[in-house]
Amino acid sequence: MTTGMKLVLFAAEILTLAAALIATFHPNVLYGAIALLGTFVGVAAMYLFAGADFLAGAQIIVYVGGVTILILFAIMLTQWLYQMKLRDIGTKLLVPVLIGGGLFTLLVKALLDINPQFAAENIEKSQKFLHAPKTPLIGEALLNSYLLPFEAVTILLLGALVGAVWIARPR
Amino acid sequence: MIESASFAQTMQGWAGMGPLWLWAAASALIILFLLALPFGGLATYVERKIAADIQDRIGPNRVGPLGILQFAADAVKMLAKEDFTPTGADRFLFNLAPVLVVVGACAAFACLPFGKGIVSADLNIGVFYILAVTTLVAPGLLLGSWGSQNKWSLLGGLRAAAQIVSYEIPVSLSILPVVIISGTMQMGSIVEQQGWNTAVEHAATNYHFWNVIHNPFTLCATFLLFVGGLAETNRIPFDLPEAESELVSGFNTEFSGMRFGLYALGEFVDVFVMSAMLTALYLGGWQLPFFNVDQWVVPLPSAVLAIVHMTVFMVKTLMVVFVVMWLRWTLPRLRVDQLMSLCWKGMVPLALINVTGTALWMWLFKGQSMMQLLAKAFGG
Repeated sequence: MTTGMKLVLFAAEILTLAAALIATFHPNVLYGAIALLGTFVGVAAMYLFAGADFLAGAQIIVYVGGVTILILFAIMLTQWLYQMKLRDIGTKLLVPVLIGGGLFTLLVKALLDINPQFAAENIEKSQKFLHAPKTPLIGEALLNSYLLPFEAVTILLLGALVGAVWIARPR
Repeated sequence: MIESASFAQTMQGWAGMGPLWLWAAASALIILFLLALPFGGLATYVERKIAADIQDRIGPNRVGPLGILQFAADAVKMLAKEDFTPTGADRFLFNLAPVLVVVGACAAFACLPFGKGIVSADLNIGVFYILAVTTLVAPGLLLGSWGSQNKWSLLGGLRAAAQIVSYEIPVSLSILPVVIISGTMQMGSIVEQQGWNTAVEHAATNYHFWNVIHNPFTLCATFLLFVGGLAETNRIPFDLPEAESELVSGFNTEFSGMRFGLYALGEFVDVFVMSAMLTALYLGGWQLPFFNVDQWVVPLPSAVLAIVHMTVFMVKTLMVVFVVMWLRWTLPRLRVDQLMSLCWKGMVPLALINVTGTALWMWLFKGQSMMQLLAKAFGG
């Protein structure tokens, strides 16, 4: 990676973190949702740097084009939610802090557990693979090794599609 | 076959040619000032001229020869206009929304194949990338309409978001047949494979004709993609988000001056991107019918070839854009319920049939197109 790419990656990380903080602490829920959009875009950018182009595209389509819109709809169609100031976090601090802290500890531990020697060797070896396009590999894996789960998800999605039409039918 | 590249590889390629920020700034400026702004400007003029022709009027004819400088006058007017923010509007959202719309539309230019090798970034997820970045338009419209603190705007914005999210499904499903046929999502490679190349000495490359007549299902998918594209870009007959007779001007009611200009620019750029995508995926991109430009009687120098490719691509794309503008003065607007039933009862099932049918065709005829089968049947 060149210096320029590192800088862009750093910017993506900053965007993700800052937007996540805003999403958590902003009193206005609509701004929280917009900040969440920034987080999704930042995470997608980090996927790009990991050579996971397809995952990044899917992240944008599903989260920015789908989930964010859904959240925005829910906020805009709920009465008084926009004017409400969500400041009553004091009462429910314990459980989120426990869960979040636990997850954070686990992730940090997993990162520290990587043997640096082993990691360095593998990075040398996989540097070329790291940035190579992996979309064909995903396609082959989905239609060979993981055909059954793939088909199960397909049927689930088709069911969701038909269900949506069924719910929206005129009565 | 064109070399496929991931995003990181493309970036490294750029970085090898100089500082990254220089390339980023240069490509952003080129896309904005050489592609998006001239196209958006000229499109407003052409749209008004077409409207005038269809309605038997003269249209803009005062500024410059045949009124062709009208767009420059419009741009100056928009820049000089008061930048008005309504009372009670959410300033941040109001400012952010037009930017999101324009960024979402312009970012798609990165993967459009204007000619063989003339792509800013021939990503291995090309089509998917274009689909992904154009979804940024929906949150833009929604937030802008909310930020203007106006009920008409909000109704328009909600309609726009619902419409774009719904029609995303038939559009994606209409792109899938091409991916099945080509075995790649890379734009350059998809166009490359639509070459007219069935002569005996090229039998090994097994090229076929344009995807639109690869099989009956892709023919149907082409029209679905066109109609879905109309809906995604909020063009008539799907312009419910700005239906002027019921919602004043919909999501852009409160926007004036250059902010309104950005919305209009975003819409025109979106139309261009959808047309270019249709051209590249189904109408053969830079390929000409009946003869192969690349292997013409005398091999053309690469610079001339590039110009020919770009011309062919632009002519095809602009013809699709012309049909889009022509439809505006031909069809009446749909109702909301008609819009949704068209999508969910008509287009989604049809698109699913297309995907399944194309997959079956590929399996039954070993990936040969109708043209190849006909050529075989008649020994040609």
